[in-house]
Amino acid sequence: MIAKWFDERLDLKKFKEKFLNKAFPAHPTFLFGEIALFSFITLVITGIFLGLFYEPSTGQVSLFGAMVPAAYASVVKIDLLPMGVIIRRIHHWSAMIMIAAIIAHLARVYFTSAYRKPREINWLIGLSLLAVTLGAAFTGYLLPYSQFSVTATSIAYYIAKSVPWAGDWISRLLFNGEFPAHGTVPRFFFLHVMLIPIGLITLIGAHLLVLVKQKHTEPKANSKRKAAQGGRRLIGIPVWPEQSYISVSLFFFLLFVVVLMATYIPLNPIERYGPPSPVTPVMRPDWYFLPIYGFLKLIPGDLSFTLLGSKITPEAIGGVFFPGILALILVAIPFLDRASSPQNYIENPLHRPFMTSSGIAGAMLLFMTTVSGYIDVLHIAPASMAIYVVVVTAAAWVVSYLLLRLYSRAAKKGEHVKS
Amino acid sequence: MVETDSEGRDKKVTRRQFARGFVLAALAAATGSLLSFLKLLAPSKKGGGYVATVAAGDRLVYAGGNRQGSLLKASEFKAGDAVLVYPEGKSGNEANLVQLIRLEESEFKAPTRKELTDQGFVAYSAICTHLGCIVGWIKDKKDPEASYIECPCHNSIFNPEQGARVMGGPAPIPLAQIGVKVSADGTLVFTSGFSGPIGPQV
Ligand code: HEM
Ligand code: FES
Repeated sequence: MIAKWFDERLDLKKFKEKFLNKAFPAHPTFLFGEIALFSFITLVITGIFLGLFYEPSTGQVSLFGAMVPAAYASVVKIDLLPMGVIIRRIHHWSAMIMIAAIIAHLARVYFTSAYRKPREINWLIGLSLLAVTLGAAFTGYLLPYSQFSVTATSIAYYIAKSVPWAGDWISRLLFNGEFPAHGTVPRFFFLHVMLIPIGLITLIGAHLLVLVKQKHTEPKANSKRKAAQGGRRLIGIPVWPEQSYISVSLFFFLLFVVVLMATYIPLNPIERYGPPSPVTPVMRPDWYFLPIYGFLKLIPGDLSFTLLGSKITPEAIGGVFFPGILALILVAIPFLDRASSPQNYIENPLHRPFMTSSGIAGAMLLFMTTVSGYIDVLHIAPASMAIYVVVVTAAAWVVSYLLLRLYSRAAKKGEHVKS
Repeated sequence: MVETDSEGRDKKVTRRQFARGFVLAALAAATGSLLSFLKLLAPSKKGGGYVATVAAGDRLVYAGGNRQGSLLKASEFKAGDAVLVYPEGKSGNEANLVQLIRLEESEFKAPTRKELTDQGFVAYSAICTHLGCIVGWIKDKKDPEASYIECPCHNSIFNPEQGARVMGGPAPIPLAQIGVKVSADGTLVFTSGFSGPIGPQV
């Protein structure tokens, strides 16, 4: 009845034919993107709850007899609400899961070469999504204004300030003055709950529109079946009802896992860290910033030089150039590894020795720089750790490349014998 | 005579070209006027950054712990002890934060400025010169002289007996020294400002 009422006015049948019948490849690795999307939905819902109580101010207020920043006091009060601490932890855990899912999704696209023509646009949108999500996590981290938040943000402030040529201006633009300025928390709050979510929603929308237009890639094995069917449609299951059932169950299962983790695993216990005070605890950032944090530890303090009138400091090398170069490589990938004609089948990673071993080496580099974040507990000198990073990364490349070459030669021989 | 191009068409501007040029000019003007906005969004420096206000004659008080704000007594420190201190009445400014350490007077070597030490007390800025974390004191219980200053953030290590020289890690320059002396009533006072730049060198 109701459906008919709307159908008569909105021509829903056409919509169903166009969008809900779209085929979705039935392969679990195609679900990483969905996990990222569902985590974002959870973040929005829990974020709205937090935003109703949070106070974006560093003015001093009294909390249990001590004077603390209002932002810190409001988050302590959120933790004291029924379920408050659980909701805060769901928010933080979902942030981690969202980032992990984006990275897994990116890796899937990379290793199957799904970024090739015509999908370069969505590769770039995906990278922007990762960058903006990291920005969301970073701005969110300051909001509770605990000793941890302030130390982490202060480090980032000086990294921004170390950007050659424009660092002074960039740092004042991002942090609304020289950190710790009173304007930093209100600006980060607005970025975190307004600009960044709007940016994410826009990017996600664009990402999905391009996806619907271009369709997914699919395994080469489908090509024969496809040709038999006339070759137009992608082989898979329709968005409605099959894929929707999978997606909805995935969403609720994810929610179940996140709530379970939030209930039993404490995260960012700000009551224990306390408000900002003149002592820096031993602190490490959330895992997604560990590679940069670890890399910063490896740069010796006397490694600085002058380039075009600007001093390049160790901070700039570790905090600006290292992530900057990684980002540039990611951006460049679809323009270096090109397909001449539009490609709609995924490559088998085992048949692309160069790209696959480069991906493995990249992952190893991130892993080893993460380990560098722990040289203080591992008792490794920065200079030896730097050597390990280079050696292990290079070894990962060489070994995986040789193995893959051997494999593809053997596979080719096998084909020969068969035919 | 009407000017023509090589294919004999009129060289006059067409309506469409004019409209396109007009829109582009308007867009450029609007963008340009917005640029001044960027300046507004990045407030100029005003009292920010690490500007220390500590001066000779300020007395030393505890910076934290349950005796926060009370005066230090020299007799409370043995060789190998250290504490974070502020100049009395100036604790609102983190740039004034100082790491006070007591060692054996005879152990100080260059480039420590011995005239800024007294009875084994030596003091350095507590703000790491790498990215601005507050340094910590790693005490060796058996051998106080083997203790050192370490930044908890990226593990820069400073040698307190050698003018806080950088022994390892990413810090680019030593922590600035500041003069201290024990006064007649057993409290400690600063005898100078910082001997060099403090805080991150970016
Ligand atoms: C509409 C969307 C969002 C809203 C309204 C929102 C709101 C908030 C608020 C009010 C806080 C401060 C309270 C607290 O610290 O617990 C916060 C913290 C935080 N947010 Fe969000 N947020 C949103 C999206 C995101 C996204 C997309 C991410 C990251 C991917 C994220 C990551 C964080 C993190 C890491 C914290 C610190 C949590 C903690 O204190 O443990 N948020 N958010
Ligand atoms: S801030 Fe001290 S080592 Fe990085």
